[in-house]
Amino acid sequence: MSGAALPVLLLAAWEIAARTAVVSPRYFPPPTVIAATLSRLLTAGEFWGDALTTLSRLAGAFLVAALAGVPLGLAMGLWRPLRRALEPAVAMLYPLPKIALLPLFLILLGVGEGAFVFTAAVTAFFQILTSTAGGTATIDPRLVEAGRNYGARGVTLFRKVILPAALPAVLTGLRLGLGLALITVIAVEFVAAKSGLGHLVFRYWQMLLTGEMYAAFLLIGLMGLGATRGLRAVQRRALGWQEEIGWR
Amino acid sequence: MSRPVRRWRLDLVPLILPALVLVAWEIASATGLLRAVFFPRPSTIARLLLAQVADGTLLAHLGLTVARLTAAFVLAAVPGVAVGLAMGMSRRTREGLDPLFALLYPIPSVLFLPLVSFALRQEEVAVAVTAAFTSFFLVVYTTMTGVQQLDRTVLEAARHFGAHGRRFFLTVLLPATLPAIFTGLRLGLGYTLIVVVAVEMVSAQRGLGALLWLSWQILKVEEMYVALVTVAVLGAVLTGAVEWLRRRLIPWAQDIAEVGA
Repeated sequence: MSGAALPVLLLAAWEIAARTAVVSPRYFPPPTVIAATLSRLLTAGEFWGDALTTLSRLAGAFLVAALAGVPLGLAMGLWRPLRRALEPAVAMLYPLPKIALLPLFLILLGVGEGAFVFTAAVTAFFQILTSTAGGTATIDPRLVEAGRNYGARGVTLFRKVILPAALPAVLTGLRLGLGLALITVIAVEFVAAKSGLGHLVFRYWQMLLTGEMYAAFLLIGLMGLGATRGLRAVQRRALGWQEEIGWR
Repeated sequence: MSRPVRRWRLDLVPLILPALVLVAWEIASATGLLRAVFFPRPSTIARLLLAQVADGTLLAHLGLTVARLTAAFVLAAVPGVAVGLAMGMSRRTREGLDPLFALLYPIPSVLFLPLVSFALRQEEVAVAVTAAFTSFFLVVYTTMTGVQQLDRTVLEAARHFGAHGRRFFLTVLLPATLPAIFTGLRLGLGYTLIVVVAVEMVSAQRGLGALLWLSWQILKVEEMYVALVTVAVLGAVLTGAVEWLRRRLIPWAQDIAEVGA
């Protein structure tokens, strides 16, 4: 209960400051007004279309990234020559802010969903690839050795030994990738798209509809919280036997 | 991903793939297989890049982006490490701040731009503060986890040998947490670069992100590639610099997030 003290205190201070016009209620409407706006817009169905757009972009980007990133990451982790060939290119592209690729993709794919989704997918892809390859390459060799000694080869070795050993890193990569994909989708919507929650925040900002702006902002925050918490729960369930690699 | 024990030597294998891609691109654009309007030849881009470096225009954009990046990073890193250490050491601080941070952390930084620019009328300040948001939380949580994961035995031993207060903090706790702090700073720096570029794309007239976005809008494709290459090099140089610093300052520790984050 005490955990909620600070947020509640801040919200109360904001409410009072806005009501008494210590801060301009035009720019910082009281939290109760924002909450009322959010529930009004949600019941009026205004947000659902854009929320759905954002979610489907996120799903598309995440799927593309995972389907490409996990297999390639596993392959890089297991096969040294491939790792040596790709690692420098990956190391060069990994720190590149992928949002900077948006104009390129807009040219390549035209102004539309393809470019938006692809930009987010590339962001998540590199995260998933790096985590998966790193996790696979650093599997304890004794595990593989033991598996071999007990007669596991080929597909069996992969399914029974390598995949479970790499799974924590893969799942961490997927979770971080999902977070990055959401961030990129929102940023792309904010910058370029004409739909989606990120665009709503931008549009309301330009129109100075601050109540609506904060409402959309809040909805995105809740979505982000839900996405990362959800995947963390999945990870915990799938990996009951193992502590998480890395810190989050 | 590279193991720190690898000795430095010239290794040409990794250069094969990028070189092949560039050569193929050059030939495809030159022969019209790729539309040169959208895919100018790499040699053309390189020439424009050199020309823009020579006349100073590119460096002006780069300088502005680096200045914003530095300001945002300092705004995120200094309070981030302090709050992270405090949250790691004191349970009450942790329980007090965590619910608030957990709610704000997943919100993409760019979205703070409207809110921050209402509060801070100075545009440049607003850009720096916006870009600092998520990095701050990254640094806080990495540092905090670093403190929490310290080996209790070491801390106990230090106490038994009489280390207390400031001395305990400076000679035991802080050095032991340094690897985690470094990881947080590395992640935070990368993240700050993302947000600075994104914010420049939306709202700035100058800086690499603005150059990228504006040259796309007027279809100056070659300039767009120049900006893109510069951003990529900036990202790679920053990552390399942090890695170099880490090996210098804390050679005993591996980056804990090499796999995880």
